Amino acid sequence: MKTLHTIQLIIICLMGMHAGCGQEASPPSSSPEGLVVRYSTLSSKIRGLDPMDIGDTTSSAIGGNIFDCLYQYHYLKRPYQLIPNLAAAMPTVSEDSLTYTIPIRDDVVFFDDECFKATSGKGRGLTAADFIYAWKRIANIKNVSKNWWIFDGRIVGFDEFREYTKTIKDKADVDYSKPVEGLVALNDHLLQIKLKKPWPQLQFMLAHLPTAPVPHEAVNHYGEEILNHPVGTGPFILEDWKRGSKIILSRNPTFRDERYPSEGEPGDKEAGLLTDAGKRLPLIDRAEFLVIQEDQPRWLKFMAGDLDVAGIPKDSFDKVINTNRQLTPEMLAKGIILTKYQTPLTLWYGINMEDPILGTNLPLRRAMNLALNRKEYIKLFANDRAIPARGILPAMFGDFNPELVSPYINYDPQKAKQLLVEAQRIHGGPLPTITMTMGGTDSTARQIGQYLTRTYKAVGLNFQVEYMDWPTSQDKVKNKSAQIYAMGWYADYPDSENFLLLFYGPNGSPGPNNMNYKNAEFDELFEQMGTMPSSPERKALVQKMEQMVIEDLPCILTSHPIAFALHYNWALNRKPHVFGEGHLKYGNIDVERRHKAKTG
Amino acid sequence: MNAITATAADIPETPTRGLWADAWRRVFRNRLALFMSLIVLLYVLVALFVAFGWLANDWDQSVGGSYEPPSTTNMLGTDIFGLSVLRKTLYGTKISMTVALVAALISLAIGVPLGAMAGYFRGIVDEIIVWIYSTLSSIPGLLLVMAFAFVLKDKSLFGQPLRGITVVYLALGLTSWVGICRLIRGEVIKHKQRDYVAAARAYGCPRWRIILLHLIPNVSHLILIDFSLRFVGFIHAEVILSFLGLGVKDEPSWGVMIDDARLELSRDVWWQMAAATAAIFVVSLALNIVSDALRDALDPKLRE
Amino acid sequence: MWNYVVRRLLYTPLIVIGVLLVTFLLFVVVQGDLSTEIAGRSASAETIAEIRAEYGWDKPLFINIEGMKQHGIEALFDSQFVKHFVDTVTFDFGRSRASKQRISELLWDGAGPSLCLTLPMFVGLLSTSLSIALIIAFARGTIWDTILVVICVLGMSLPSLAFILLGQYFLAYKLGWFPIFGYEPGWSGAKFLTLPVLIGIIAGLGSDVRFYRTVMLDEIRADYIRTAYAKGVSTRRVLFVHLLKNALIPVITSVVLAIPFLFLGSLLLERFFGIPGLGYMMIEAIGNRDFKVISAMTFIISVLFVFGNLATDICYALVDPRISLH
Repeated sequence: MKTLHTIQLIIICLMGMHAGCGQEASPPSSSPEGLVVRYSTLSSKIRGLDPMDIGDTTSSAIGGNIFDCLYQYHYLKRPYQLIPNLAAAMPTVSEDSLTYTIPIRDDVVFFDDECFKATSGKGRGLTAADFIYAWKRIANIKNVSKNWWIFDGRIVGFDEFREYTKTIKDKADVDYSKPVEGLVALNDHLLQIKLKKPWPQLQFMLAHLPTAPVPHEAVNHYGEEILNHPVGTGPFILEDWKRGSKIILSRNPTFRDERYPSEGEPGDKEAGLLTDAGKRLPLIDRAEFLVIQEDQPRWLKFMAGDLDVAGIPKDSFDKVINTNRQLTPEMLAKGIILTKYQTPLTLWYGINMEDPILGTNLPLRRAMNLALNRKEYIKLFANDRAIPARGILPAMFGDFNPELVSPYINYDPQKAKQLLVEAQRIHGGPLPTITMTMGGTDSTARQIGQYLTRTYKAVGLNFQVEYMDWPTSQDKVKNKSAQIYAMGWYADYPDSENFLLLFYGPNGSPGPNNMNYKNAEFDELFEQMGTMPSSPERKALVQKMEQMVIEDLPCILTSHPIAFALHYNWALNRKPHVFGEGHLKYGNIDVERRHKAKTG
Repeated sequence: MNAITATAADIPETPTRGLWADAWRRVFRNRLALFMSLIVLLYVLVALFVAFGWLANDWDQSVGGSYEPPSTTNMLGTDIFGLSVLRKTLYGTKISMTVALVAALISLAIGVPLGAMAGYFRGIVDEIIVWIYSTLSSIPGLLLVMAFAFVLKDKSLFGQPLRGITVVYLALGLTSWVGICRLIRGEVIKHKQRDYVAAARAYGCPRWRIILLHLIPNVSHLILIDFSLRFVGFIHAEVILSFLGLGVKDEPSWGVMIDDARLELSRDVWWQMAAATAAIFVVSLALNIVSDALRDALDPKLRE
Repeated sequence: MWNYVVRRLLYTPLIVIGVLLVTFLLFVVVQGDLSTEIAGRSASAETIAEIRAEYGWDKPLFINIEGMKQHGIEALFDSQFVKHFVDTVTFDFGRSRASKQRISELLWDGAGPSLCLTLPMFVGLLSTSLSIALIIAFARGTIWDTILVVICVLGMSLPSLAFILLGQYFLAYKLGWFPIFGYEPGWSGAKFLTLPVLIGIIAGLGSDVRFYRTVMLDEIRADYIRTAYAKGVSTRRVLFVHLLKNALIPVITSVVLAIPFLFLGSLLLERFFGIPGLGYMMIEAIGNRDFKVISAMTFIISVLFVFGNLATDICYALVDPRISLH
């Protein structure tokens, strides 16, 4: 779901600011009554807090702390591992892998809220029916939710429910009690899901924020305003929201008894990540998020010690990191700690395979990959904070193939020129100008455009860039009228399937396969792999598919970004966590140390 | 710069000398204004040289590494791609001059005839024209320019797709004719009562001829002053539009340079910002002083 | 004169209609149909049709002849323009496409912070630049006048961004005189606003001084000044009594007409100092093609402008009977 604005993507990873990695700030020694308060920043305004509509990373970063899902990723263990959250245990799966039975905790209550009229404002207990209700809201076509892709074609009877909502004229008349065969509350605390065909990725979806439960009382009470009145079961409640300026979350007093994990991976104990083991979550009382969109004020606030955590702005990088890729002594003296980590993110320039010039001309696509000097590109636009891409999968994926070599994904302008000769022969004449669709008009977009134009000019290919706003560029990509466009994919869950689905034929535009790559053999393998549980055979299959893509090259692969995150030594329990949302509850602040550092 | 003061009664009125000849004499007597006119001329020459490909047409060749500070080889340093900032600044002169000139001409081409028509014909024509410009002037100017730029982008005109610089001057020109239109309308209403117009009418001169040959030349000094002031405004508007991402893209303009430079400042790269700002400053100053001198020279109150 | 006032009053709705027409043409006709974008990843033909119906993009632009044939005469006006017109004049702007928030609420929330920033800035700018312009009028024709003009033009030429970046870095971060970033409503927020207001004044001084200098110089050439000098009135008295009194009319006019635009806020200052005003909202709305927001804001500012204009014109007419509709 995270086909983000590339520029946005670059910023997100450079800043080390994706979901769950918010930036904390400290108040000028004024925590009211000794409460542990955490001040953070967001890089853009949040849109709304209705799980049904949450799609952008910023809203998820907040929403993930208010809403809980059935499952969550273990905070410390790697590789990433799912553990129960609202569920009481991992699901029981039937022999045929089609029926999932999920027990639900009986000690979870929704926030106290005026919408619960029957209990005069006290939050009622969570039941299995709340999940079914929330998912039906996503299915209801009148709600125009962007998250229907999660369930599309997966659950028995659910697509029929969506069909039914099409026949209803008024949104209010949709009957949510209409039964769906595949979604049944066996009792208040037992949920049963029946699938049309095996779908091992269901478990990841149940840890994905849009599938969080929502009480029907809140939806009925607030109507369209529900996006400003989140009623969840999470560790924090939304205390105040000054649109476009500040968001305050505070400890949910009725949060269930959840404890800080007492085991992690080797080295966690030494890193102090287990100091709070067994303590009740959340560890902090309040969290304030300031919306700061510009680099300079954010960076200055961090340097002044007002923020506990920050990314490194592109143009301040050389002042912060020395040539050995470590913090400068000046930063170390301030008590700043640097964390470098990989992200499940790959960036590329998509090629529309239905374009008559590019789609049928393999040497041309190969030449375009060969002409790009990825090292220089990364140096200029990301301060070397990325690994040149060789394949689709980032190294953190279990299926990553370290031996993967493509003769075309490296820098060789001579070979590119030779291939262009062949490309001309296939085209039957001189190649026309290739136009790139750039969804951005700011300085960075313009410089990238200029760089690519120069790159292709150097090998003798006419290349131009059309600049437009992000929505217009997306329209062009979706209606297949773009030739080349910037694209990136930040994986939703730690399964290679999430990357490979981008190349699956039936997912073509307006679906996520916006390159409109079609390869019958690949599609067949993808369908086969999609129903397989994790195994060496599956890994071999994934690697075979990746090889196919880098042979056909429906894209110009560029890089896998590496996040550089900074934090002061008083921000505790910080471990890079790249999947799922809602890690605020694990964080802690050494208030005393912060106070000393700021006053001493 | 105001060497000619309000009490410059020492300038004798020579009946044989017309408004313009007199004005030029005054401007020439003002040495500062003369010098500034030469500077404007220099900018125009640079723009022409660039347009003919004699100067800075190799701006897209790199001359060194990324972000090299000013040195003897690269007088104004280099940018992110190692391009010469000096060449970019020179090339930007062409862009800015074109934008300002074409936008000013468009706004005059719309504003002057409409204003003259409204002032001369009055009645329903006047009502409609006044309604149009009152409406446009009620809408915040920057918003209107942005909306026009947005709307014009990627549309085509006479089969040519509108891009980059064309969008900039069209948007500026189409939204900025209100001021001159209002001014001309007022002047024409005044002049219409004068004897020479009445005489022309009595001779049976057609109305378009009266407007074109009698009225417009008599308000031309206003047009010139407005033009020189507007010119500066347009150069600055190009900078704002570039900042908003609605400006020129594939070529260096001063606006683009400033927009690129704003992030560079935090890595202590100041030369690109300085070069573009200096270029804007000098031409703005020159035009300001020249238009002030023109205003003084053409002001009938100072001619008695 | 009453004739004038009545005509002027009747003219106002016409301008409002004109503004509506312009916003409609720019933001409804040209923006086109955004349904595929709204539909997102799950886009199917049905979803898109659903969205088109919800936003009214399936209707004709001006008049609905098809609808009239089917449903009778009242359906003739079931068009996008009529809907835009009715919604706008009843201040029912709907919800923002990007944030799904009610537009009237967004505007209401943003107006306060924007005004907190722009109003003090405006007052400060006006008083400072008027004083400087008056001093220039004293020094007219001397070298000081030239030097001041050079400084003004330099101020105009420097990008306002440079003032912001440097001011924030040195005054707030290095010297710690002001907070770096933030906003609070009410008096407690004054400390956050001081620096942006100051920077706004300094950045705007160049062009404002130049403008008021022109106003003063225009007045200084007027007959009454010459008469005053001829009567032997002192230069000081001429400047501060005669000149200032008369120059106030164009100044007040420009002030009244500038006030509605204060709602627009200040794009850069808001963004760099974290003031949740309308300035940045506008730019974001343009980037997101969230034209309902822009059209609502344009409408409100334009209406304020039209009424401000009306009020000043009527006041002048009441004060000075010579003024006619011309």
